[in-house]
Amino acid sequence: MTHANERLFDHKAAREWKLKKTRAEKDKRMSLKDAVAEFVEDGDSLIETGFAYVRGPMAAYFEIGRQKKKDLVGIFTPGGISTVWHEFGGLEGAHVAYVGVEMRGLISPFRRGVEAGTLKVYSDWSHGALSLSLRAAEQGVNYVASKSMLGTDLMKSNPYIKEDRDPWTGEPVCLIPAMYPDLAIIHVHHADKYGNGRIWGAVVNDTAIAVAARKVVVTCERIVDSADIRSNPYQVIVPHYCVDAVCEVPYGAWPGDMPGLYYFDRRLQEKIVRTLWKTAEGTKEYYEKYIMGTRNQYEMLAMAAEDEGVNAIDYVKQLEQLACDAFCYGMGSWGVGGEREWKYEEVAKRLI
Amino acid sequence: MTDIQYTPRELIVCAAARLLSDGESVFVGTGLPLVGALLAKKLHAPNMMAIYECGAVDPEPRELPWSVACSWTCYKAPIILSMSSVFGHSRAGYADVGFLGGAQIDMYGNINATCIGPYDQPTVRLTGSGGANDIASLSDRVIFMGLHLPERFPEKCDYITSPGFLDGPGGRERAGLLGQGPWRVISHLGVMGFDDETCRMKLISYHPGVTPEIVQQFTGFELLIPDDVIETPKPSEEELRLLREEVDPNQLFCF
Repeated sequence: MTHANERLFDHKAAREWKLKKTRAEKDKRMSLKDAVAEFVEDGDSLIETGFAYVRGPMAAYFEIGRQKKKDLVGIFTPGGISTVWHEFGGLEGAHVAYVGVEMRGLISPFRRGVEAGTLKVYSDWSHGALSLSLRAAEQGVNYVASKSMLGTDLMKSNPYIKEDRDPWTGEPVCLIPAMYPDLAIIHVHHADKYGNGRIWGAVVNDTAIAVAARKVVVTCERIVDSADIRSNPYQVIVPHYCVDAVCEVPYGAWPGDMPGLYYFDRRLQEKIVRTLWKTAEGTKEYYEKYIMGTRNQYEMLAMAAEDEGVNAIDYVKQLEQLACDAFCYGMGSWGVGGEREWKYEEVAKRLI
Repeated sequence: MTDIQYTPRELIVCAAARLLSDGESVFVGTGLPLVGALLAKKLHAPNMMAIYECGAVDPEPRELPWSVACSWTCYKAPIILSMSSVFGHSRAGYADVGFLGGAQIDMYGNINATCIGPYDQPTVRLTGSGGANDIASLSDRVIFMGLHLPERFPEKCDYITSPGFLDGPGGRERAGLLGQGPWRVISHLGVMGFDDETCRMKLISYHPGVTPEIVQQFTGFELLIPDDVIETPKPSEEELRLLREEVDPNQLFCF
């Protein structure tokens, strides 16, 4: 078995892989548990999607933790939650553009791993450069010539990029090769059973990632009819032919932000980031209580609600009230499949 | 007039917001710059066009968002692109100002957001570049915001994540970089700029209650102090009111 890094820039092998994927409109629905068991393999390179905690497939990352997947190599542009698996053997190394929680600072488990030398940083990138690497894969070019990263230590500490001269102008340029991660899990608002995925809000890098990655799992807030997708293809960011599995996971981005549906679970996030993750013991407590102590996203939601002394349905309603209206994301309404009230019922059903 | 009370972070944010002009495009990094950009838009620059690395351009953000990518930041954006597109647009010439934070800034305006200590065995591993390198490489000019301590203003950064003038005059051109490079540095002690000839950091104004000598004491390299340095105007009541009531009503950041 080769190391994930040896596959990462192998465009021929990535193409061979994709030539074998089905193009048929196949029903790819399965449970999140089964999708993670089947498509997340020990040693895979896993690229985080969305903007870490914004429209990130949190439920899937928690399930990866529960199934104790080993030695993943993270690709973070940006990244967050999956760095935590390092302290439980889940993450072996990382390609990093950004790992953090912005105003709330560093992700302590990642920091501890790198400082102790147990978590390898294989390469450092800028967001722009890593997004171009994925975009190169999507656009079908071997590499791109960029004006980012020049003159800085990023050029020295990233073994994959090269400085060269623009053959026309003679100016220095940074050459960035196309990247092909093993695995991406993308959380969307709506998907049909074939994997066409639609979002509101920022795509960030996800269309490029869907095409670049070998294996793609789509988790969605709601499965909708394919006719609904076909009647409005403009917000579809993941095409079905890239997708291997589709899982309906309402509240799948919790405790992160899902544009238009629910906002960050700010109290829980503060507690995790500023307190629990600060120490290895706290991180272990977090892992054992919230991840291993629950079987799925809904048990975890119920646990968080119980911590706050609130009924679980009221708890999710509070998060919903902070969300921005859908009409601010390019559509007058939630579309054919998008009436708002269904979620409470779906969550309630799963909580029973 | 009664004495107005404010925190160091509030002062930084107010001083920074004043540097953004109406009608400019500003590529906004996370942290203090996000707060400064939101304040400027509510004060004197309602037509300032903000660009965020998640892909949102010119949104009308609600109160202090949690992330430069979240739905409160992207609120009412007329267009939401992708990460590679917005950096591409900056390189094309649509970003006038890059607005950044970081852990260290050196005398030539180079910024470190990667590590403290050696890269291979860091004492502190930081977040990494994120969009910072691209913002500093591709915007026309750059404003940096941060707290002012000798170790945060070293003569040389432990790691150059985002380019300033690199090794001094002509450094950016030799490296093939675009843009004019660093323009202003706002700390809780003063506002700094860069000398046209030497590209070294110079003091422009020192904040109320501070002297140029104090600014120098908290700087890890020799700061150029021209004769015409002035005192930074205090935050106005209007600036503080908007900051506290509309931008950061829960005092999440400007504590």
